[in-house]
Order: sequence, then structure tokens, then C-alpha cells
Amino acid sequence: MLFFSYFKDLVGKEVTVELKNDLAIRGTLHSVDQYLNIKLENTRVVDQDKYPHMLSVRNCFIRGSVVRYVQLPPEGVDVDLLHDATRREARGG
Amino acid sequence: MSWAGQEDIYLSTSLASYLDKKLLVLLRDGRKLMGILRSFDQFANAVLEGACERVIVGDLYCDIHLGLYVIRGENVVLIGELDLEREELPPHMTRVSEAEIKRAQKAEREATDLKGTMRKRMEFLDLD
Repeated sequence: MLFFSYFKDLVGKEVTVELKNDLAIRGTLHSVDQYLNIKLENTRVVDQDKYPHMLSVRNCFIRGSVVRYVQLPPEGVDVDLLHDATRREARGG
Repeated sequence: MSWAGQEDIYLSTSLASYLDKKLLVLLRDGRKLMGILRSFDQFANAVLEGACERVIVGDLYCDIHLGLYVIRGENVVLIGELDLEREELPPHMTRVSEAEIKRAQKAEREATDLKGTMRKRMEFLDLD
């Protein structure tokens, strides 16, 4: 559940989600669940000309299984905290 | 099983906040379906009422009516809420008939196939 908790802390931040079909979407992280399904608000597609059908999509739900990367703001990563949490998780909570 | 309250729906990742709204569903094979979400579950299986497929070939597009569709969740890539205030597509795109879009689709497919065979024939040149 580490990454679920981690993503929950990123709610409200601006992220870019790159999908396995190469579509990259930037938006404000609205929420995330245990499957790492993601909901984004105020979305815009990075390569808009290639995906004209996405023009009028403002909010979207992305199925966790199709996500390749999530690009985060640098200040969204507390390395020490993540480090500690990882060790705690590895020891078995 | 307990039902989430109205206020939780809008905070959660579930599709509940999209119920009865017009959505764009992007599938893994690149198809784009549009319709009104009537039901869903935890796998993102979804029921779309009045579904249609939007076929886009270059600057041409066509909405092909499908009816009531049940989509298996594993095929879903993205479910987007359509902002009805905004233009659905850029203004330079033209709506054409179903027959015309099928023709354009076929032409595009043949062009890609041809590109593939040409490339194969040129392989001995060791391009790239």
C-alpha cells in the first residue's frame, strides 16, 4: 500500500500521466485508489494536435493498469520520508 | 456493502460522479466511444447508453451509432467527462457520412500496409 499512500499525499498537485499507448495527460491529481486508478482535473493532453478527440475532456478517470509513468513535481517527493516508509514496509509494517 | 454518501462520491476515485453524464471512453485498441454512463463496477466495466463510436481519419470524422454497450473493464484506457460547453473537436475537422469515413479508413489502412511492405523490401539497404 506504500505507493497508494504516496499518491494520496500528491492529491492536488499537478502531474503528467503517461499511458502505455503513449498518450500523455497533464492535470491536477484529484484522487487515487488502491489499483492506482487516477482521476485528473483540468486536464490537457501534451500533444493536443495528435489527439483532437481529447479537446473537450476536462476531467478524466484513468485505469491504473494502463499507466506507464507518472511525472511528479520535484517538491512532491520527500526522499527521506519515502526512504523510511520503504524500510518500514520491508520490515513488515 | 455500504453506499458512499453524495459528498464522498465527488472525492473518491470511483466513477460514481460520472454517472448519467456524457463521457468519452478510450479503449485499448484506440477506439473512442461516447455515451451516457449508466452503470459501472470496481473493474471499470461500464454500461454506456446511446453509445456511438467516433471514427477520426485525418481531418474527417464520423459518429457511428451503436446503442447500448457493455464494455469490459480491462479494455478501458480512460474515461473522460465531456465538457458540453466546449467545442468537441477542432473547427477545421469535417463531419462526413459513415460510408465516407469507412472509405477513408480503408485508404489509410492500405497506405500503412504499403509503407510496411516498402520498408520490408528496402530492408537490405540497412536504413536507420
